[in-house]
Amino acid sequence: MSNEIIFTEVSKFYGEVLGVNRVSLRVPPGITSLVGPNGSGKTTLMNLMCGLIHADQGTISVRGISPRNPEQLMRQTGYCTQFDAAPRGYTGYQFVSASLLLHGYSPAEADERTWRAIDRVNLREAAPRKVAGYSKGMRQRIRLAQSIAHEPDVLILDEPLNGLDPLVRAETIALFREFAARGKHVILSSHVLQEVDVISDQVILIANGSIIAEGQIHNVREEMTEHPSQFLIRCPDAAKVAALLFAEDHITEVRLHADRQGLLVLTRSRERFSELLNQIVLGGQNIESIVQADANVDSLYEYLIGGGR
Amino acid sequence: MTKLWANQVLTIARLEVRKAFLSKRGLWVYLLALFPAVLFFGHGIDTQWKRKQWSQQVTSRSLVESVQIGERAADVRLKLGKPLRDFEYRRRRDGNDESRRMMEYFDGQRRYKFHFVDDLLKDKSDQALASLEEDTQVFSGMFQYFYLRLAIFFGCLGIFMNLFRGEMLDKTLHFWFLAPVRREVLLVGKYLAGLVASAIIFGGGTMLAFFAMLWALDPADVQAYWQGPGMGHLFWYTASAMLGCVGYGSVFLAAGLLLRNPIVPASMILLWESINGFLPAILQKLSILYYLQSLCPLPAPVDKNMPAVLRLILAPAEPAPAVWAVLGLLGVTALVLWVASQAVRRLEVNYSTE
Repeated sequence: MSNEIIFTEVSKFYGEVLGVNRVSLRVPPGITSLVGPNGSGKTTLMNLMCGLIHADQGTISVRGISPRNPEQLMRQTGYCTQFDAAPRGYTGYQFVSASLLLHGYSPAEADERTWRAIDRVNLREAAPRKVAGYSKGMRQRIRLAQSIAHEPDVLILDEPLNGLDPLVRAETIALFREFAARGKHVILSSHVLQEVDVISDQVILIANGSIIAEGQIHNVREEMTEHPSQFLIRCPDAAKVAALLFAEDHITEVRLHADRQGLLVLTRSRERFSELLNQIVLGGQNIESIVQADANVDSLYEYLIGGGR
Repeated sequence: MTKLWANQVLTIARLEVRKAFLSKRGLWVYLLALFPAVLFFGHGIDTQWKRKQWSQQVTSRSLVESVQIGERAADVRLKLGKPLRDFEYRRRRDGNDESRRMMEYFDGQRRYKFHFVDDLLKDKSDQALASLEEDTQVFSGMFQYFYLRLAIFFGCLGIFMNLFRGEMLDKTLHFWFLAPVRREVLLVGKYLAGLVASAIIFGGGTMLAFFAMLWALDPADVQAYWQGPGMGHLFWYTASAMLGCVGYGSVFLAAGLLLRNPIVPASMILLWESINGFLPAILQKLSILYYLQSLCPLPAPVDKNMPAVLRLILAPAEPAPAVWAVLGLLGVTALVLWVASQAVRRLEVNYSTE
């Protein structure tokens, strides 16, 4: 039996609207991040993997099991969805334990596993309370507890770091790493590449329902390195600073703002740009503020889809 | 494997049954189920009150029955004493002005009404304060025209349509679809939860209404009824109500999977059930109501003054024997559940389209 997740020419349409288009993928064990802007098809891919929706064309195999067979698939798979709601009236404890009872665990074993999972996400005190009264972060954590409670081989997480505070985020990332270290699949989605690139073994970039880049993280990073970064600078003598910047070969473009007190700068090297700015400041220029103009991943997609500028 | 499925069905039913019973959206189901019981209980209270009031002024039956047509009002009053009610009025008829009077007496069980025209006794009638025969007829009519056709029908719509459609609206269906459970097993588990809730609500409602009907009747009549057909009547009414939940539950469970708007299937099914009496015999057997009415121990009374079309709609078709009625209903239910199982296998979680 294959231990990969395999998509073969998979397409999914929502009526006339394209969900994903002829996606072919092989995802090995480890941490894999699906990255793309909102509406790009990340959740569609995850829902297809778990059988919540069915492919119109193509086949999917999750470690050798078809998503059309939930009985076997969900025994080895945990899915932490983006859907916020729990069944009406459920407490955090009931939300996790009900799921385990459906797996066929005895009430005693389900109880033990429930508390173990709840402890892993540090939610013991809130467990007897109704999920409907949880904060966004707590809901995220209880869903995570539910998805890991049966120790799945494939853990799928839709935007799992949304709404988590820094401490919980670090603990959650450690949990993903621990899963991956045991040869399991951890597949997570994000629309912020910088959020997941440090924890991922593989990255899949998706836009408009198509895979635009996939592979090990350093390969994708190289693509990013080639992609010029944009910065906005505010300074009283923008024309002088522009002249100083433009002298460097890693600066590809400098645009002067209409009020002549601001600049848009495109650079191929953030490190060298940072050094250069230090020199300019030490040289007596007053720099009031520097803001990265393309911190989100959308500009990278634009670059990848458009073939560079 | 079968044991696992059975365990999963029971687990799902256990998790869901509380929701089916305690859903705030389903409070009106209890009102529907308890309405006949409240009605009969109210009637019982009224009967008891009248009995208590009128017992202070009982007139002997032999004396009341000795009154003859044509006697004068004053003579009747002299013979029987002060009536329970005595009122006079005038009526114009064909240009004549008639003086009318009505006097009412009570012998402890029956009410006697004497109608006088121009001071002479023209007509007399009597009616039991509470009649077992009359009340069982009323119960039969209420059960077949209201309880089976409307209360259980709409109650099951509320309970069973919500099992899947409600989860879609609450955006919680994925919880069930992400469990390692065959979709068919999920369907059966949810159906069982709805069935337990609806059968207890409507079966219980039927029993309550039945006891409420008997509560105020003459104890001797009631005892004779229990020793006779009473227990059988209670059993078959309750069984019909519960089997109604079995049949209508499956229909609305399937409708909830196939259609978004409950008004459409409810109207179509109500129409189908209503026109069933006009259909050929083979099509009549595809109706839940046909089997349920076949199981009722007493035919529903039909008013002779009712318009012919309405009478045809309300009159039950030639009833099936009880065994065939039960088997037929279970057969229709199995067929509908099979259709529902095909639908649930194809069902996708796509809340944005809801």
